[in-house]
Amino acid sequence: MRRMAVILALLAAVAIGAYSAAGAVASRTAGPTNLTIWVGWSAGTHELKVFKSLVDEYNASQKAIHVNVVGDIVDTKIVAAIRSGTAPDIVSSFNSYNVGNYCGTGGWIDLAPYLKKDKISPSTFPAATRYYTQYGGTQCALPLLADDYGLYYNTAMFKKAGIAHPPRTISELTADAKKLTVRNPDGSIKVAGLDPFIGFYENVPERWGQQFGVQWLDKTGHSILSKDPSWTKLFTWQKSLIDWYGYKNLVKFQAGLGDEFSASNAFEAGKVAMNLDGEWRVAFIADEKPSLGYGTAPMSVDDAKPSLYGSGYINGTIIGIPKGGKHQDQAWQVVKYLTTNTHFLAEFSNGIRNVPTTTASLKSPEIKPDKHFATFLTIFGNPKSWTSPITASGVAYTNLVQNFFTKWQAGQVSDLHAGLVQLDKQLDAQVAQAKGGGVP
Amino acid sequence: MTTVDTPAPATFVRRKPPARVRRRRFLLSVANHSLLIAASVAFLLPFFFIVMTSLMTNDQALSPKIWPHPFAWHNYVDVFTKAPLWRWTLNTLLYSTLATLGVLVSSIPVAYALARLRWRGSQIAFMLVLIALMLPPQVTVVPLYVMWAKLGLVGTLWPVIIPNWLGDAFSIFLLRQFFLTIPEEYLDAARVDGCGELRVLFTVVVRLAKPAIAAVALFSFLYTFNDFFLPLLYVGENSNNWVLSIGLSEFRSLHQVEWNLTMAATLLVMAPVIILFFLAQKAFVEGVTLTGVKG
Amino acid sequence: MSLSSAGDAGALVAPASVSLDRTKTRRRAAWRRRRLVLLLMSPWIIGFSVFFGYPLAMSVYLSFTHYDLLSPPRWIGFANYHYLFNVDPQVWTAVKNTLWFIAIAVPLQVLFAFGIALMLARARRGVGVFRTIFYLPALAPPVAATLGFVYILNPATGPVNTILGHLGIEGPLWFQDPAWSKPSLTLLAMWGVGNTMIIFLAAILDAPRQLYESAELDGAGPLQRMRWVTLPSISPVILFAVILGVIGGLQYFTQAYVAAGVAAGQASQAADVSAVNLGYPLDSTLFYPVLLYEHGFTDFQMGYASALAVLLLGVSFAVTLVIVVNSRKWVHYGGMAR
Repeated sequence: MRRMAVILALLAAVAIGAYSAAGAVASRTAGPTNLTIWVGWSAGTHELKVFKSLVDEYNASQKAIHVNVVGDIVDTKIVAAIRSGTAPDIVSSFNSYNVGNYCGTGGWIDLAPYLKKDKISPSTFPAATRYYTQYGGTQCALPLLADDYGLYYNTAMFKKAGIAHPPRTISELTADAKKLTVRNPDGSIKVAGLDPFIGFYENVPERWGQQFGVQWLDKTGHSILSKDPSWTKLFTWQKSLIDWYGYKNLVKFQAGLGDEFSASNAFEAGKVAMNLDGEWRVAFIADEKPSLGYGTAPMSVDDAKPSLYGSGYINGTIIGIPKGGKHQDQAWQVVKYLTTNTHFLAEFSNGIRNVPTTTASLKSPEIKPDKHFATFLTIFGNPKSWTSPITASGVAYTNLVQNFFTKWQAGQVSDLHAGLVQLDKQLDAQVAQAKGGGVP
Repeated sequence: MTTVDTPAPATFVRRKPPARVRRRRFLLSVANHSLLIAASVAFLLPFFFIVMTSLMTNDQALSPKIWPHPFAWHNYVDVFTKAPLWRWTLNTLLYSTLATLGVLVSSIPVAYALARLRWRGSQIAFMLVLIALMLPPQVTVVPLYVMWAKLGLVGTLWPVIIPNWLGDAFSIFLLRQFFLTIPEEYLDAARVDGCGELRVLFTVVVRLAKPAIAAVALFSFLYTFNDFFLPLLYVGENSNNWVLSIGLSEFRSLHQVEWNLTMAATLLVMAPVIILFFLAQKAFVEGVTLTGVKG
Repeated sequence: MSLSSAGDAGALVAPASVSLDRTKTRRRAAWRRRRLVLLLMSPWIIGFSVFFGYPLAMSVYLSFTHYDLLSPPRWIGFANYHYLFNVDPQVWTAVKNTLWFIAIAVPLQVLFAFGIALMLARARRGVGVFRTIFYLPALAPPVAATLGFVYILNPATGPVNTILGHLGIEGPLWFQDPAWSKPSLTLLAMWGVGNTMIIFLAAILDAPRQLYESAELDGAGPLQRMRWVTLPSISPVILFAVILGVIGGLQYFTQAYVAAGVAAGQASQAADVSAVNLGYPLDSTLFYPVLLYEHGFTDFQMGYASALAVLLLGVSFAVTLVIVVNSRKWVHYGGMAR
């Protein structure tokens, strides 16, 4: 009995040892330095494949560094790894919002000295991308392909409903959404012209906020959701459209939709006629449903602000070097390649249809032209396109706003202005707490 | 449970009750049985739906249909290619086995000391065991995480395995309650034979307490097999070391897999426990009864 | 042979040398015994100190600091508690949700388990089969069971609403409706009462026959027999079930976490804002342990999470104390070793 226990324990130890070795970060074999990069792209989609093949190209091109790619990473994993000292050499995240966290706490190291040493000027990267890769004076990340958002519409349904061109204003958008909606005989929704729920796929406050030209913070860095009338306009418009559908009808309809990143995506499956989505959707449709007849255009804007039309929300993938790594100089070489090499950026952009993030690669002849994707390149270049504020609370900041939206949608907020005033206070308190535990 | 010999009770001969009473009893019994059948159906329905969905195609699972058309048996094969179920199973088995072993090795001596040895402080120690039992793990989780992080063990399963080797409150409680019922005579007999206390423990007590020990082993294994919160905390960011519960919860987002495969995976995760139950039914029920009766 | 402390037999008079020997042997025996106890208890002593005592003390300490694991903890006094009691918009929702669960879901589970056990105790034929059927769901791993339930309770495509639809009833939105999400979780919990049911069954069957017979002779009807014979004799088991239920309710995490994530993600997998899903929909499934997890391990506000933990500690103590003290009034320990 005792012997068996000892044997079992030994076996277990060997097994776990073998496991940890197999999943280990760097194997100390002579030869190229092995670095590991964590990325958010998923093995379930084409995106990770593209990235891996381009990284293989890099590995083959030089002998000093060999990069291993690990996909399906989310921010909580990155944060947990850094906090527990098991972070890889290079990390990349979809959530540019968290730059406030990473730079502020020193979790990702400051890249400015490296940029200076290699004489990379700030203007290499477009302004918006520079904004969401730094915080508190520290440039702890660099952009690795950006995302922007616009309108996708189903051309067959447009034709059937007699809509000649994509809507430019919110009132046109609303009218078209109503025209395109098809209901079942029992009143439930069969096809929705537009799903206005915040929280559905890519519908988050900051993206719609951009279309209304909202301001988040005043000059002192305090939240002004209650003071900027554009926010109230957004809230009111959104609720009125939800009420037209019927809140419960919409919830039921949404519960029956497929996953955003699966082949049963609601837009690809023809369940919604129009959708706010990112530029990557072009590649997904080409990969999953090439027969879909669709068009792209900038998303509609507030009737009172027609000059905003053509702009859209920007954020993107960020990449950086976690603190505590042992091969930071080599990691920098990889980061430099991935963020500034025009060929790589252009090919990667072609592969996953994200927006290239250097001024050089934006103009690169290697970019394969695509009429759908071109819309998003134009949106990206629009000077009014911008991103949301980076704060010390990271993504928790916009999450709090989104939480408020979901309550508002469900009709649980009776006084919008009072609710927004309270929300402002909570946002400020949250930032203060994230910074260091003081409450204003 | 020792039964004392009582003389045959003054058997009051039960005459057959009148027909009216018999009929009423029969009707009650029928009503009782119908309720039981209805309840059973309700209890089995979720299993039924899960099985049906697991045999549907992608699109069908998203529709209101209940009966699969056709039967997609290959879902059960697809599940293995879509996700590393084998690795998760291995991790889970490693965790459960090591943890259960640890619980047995560490809790039996403690329970014995609390039950059969009298020493100052044994009451307090038992109180502390009870208190530890009632405390939600979330209360101690933050500093423990910090401790494991500093030791560099976050991302592995060791933080969830090791504590089981240093005593488990529930097992200690259960074993202690059982040990209390062992008659002193057995232990005395062994002691008279010249056994030291430790020999007494290992030879006599353990053998007598086999049902309780089996119950503890079974429950530890089950509990760790199903454990989600602590593994999520420590191993959530390292998908190489995921256990089945974490893997299943992440299954849908892993490869944007649809419901039909998720339900198939769900069934596959449920299966080993249910099979184990059918093989060890008696031990299961005895064990559960033990916890309640002695508790 | 009791190993009580030496000295109780010291009244024996003996010649000096013999008594010295006796005290020496007694002392040696006592020392040996202490060593034995230490040896046997050592795993627990270490375990308790390291995994219970130390973290408890540390939690209290950390609750007064700002700590994000990257830099050392920074003392900030009562700021965390101030935020907890006055500012955090979700804390009171979380407390209410957990209390709801303890006040509603736990009693329902106990009652349901008791009811089924009662029916099983009355039944004569096929008890084994029924018992197995009712016990099986309790074996289902919580994550698996939750996934299953969220799927079958899908308001649009789930089989339950489909069948209800055929019967002419419009099914509720279940996990998508904040008013129905906790009831849905309760249904899930009730599906898994197998363990409690078996314990109740054993206890009911164990109730002394003589009491029933004498009650019957005295003319007690079935309800009275229940009130005066069954319930009192199984009252320790009821207490046990209630305490376990309450402890479970105070730590309720897995099902809420998985259900919220899955229900929210059913259509709205917006890129990685997973923290928004905790408590879906509308914070209705945001139980206290879930909130603690969110603040501590997704936001990494470890100081604040410790403050939340200290509050949980206080509440757990209070609740268990109340139950145990209260139990003296109605629990009868007939002949059970206590």
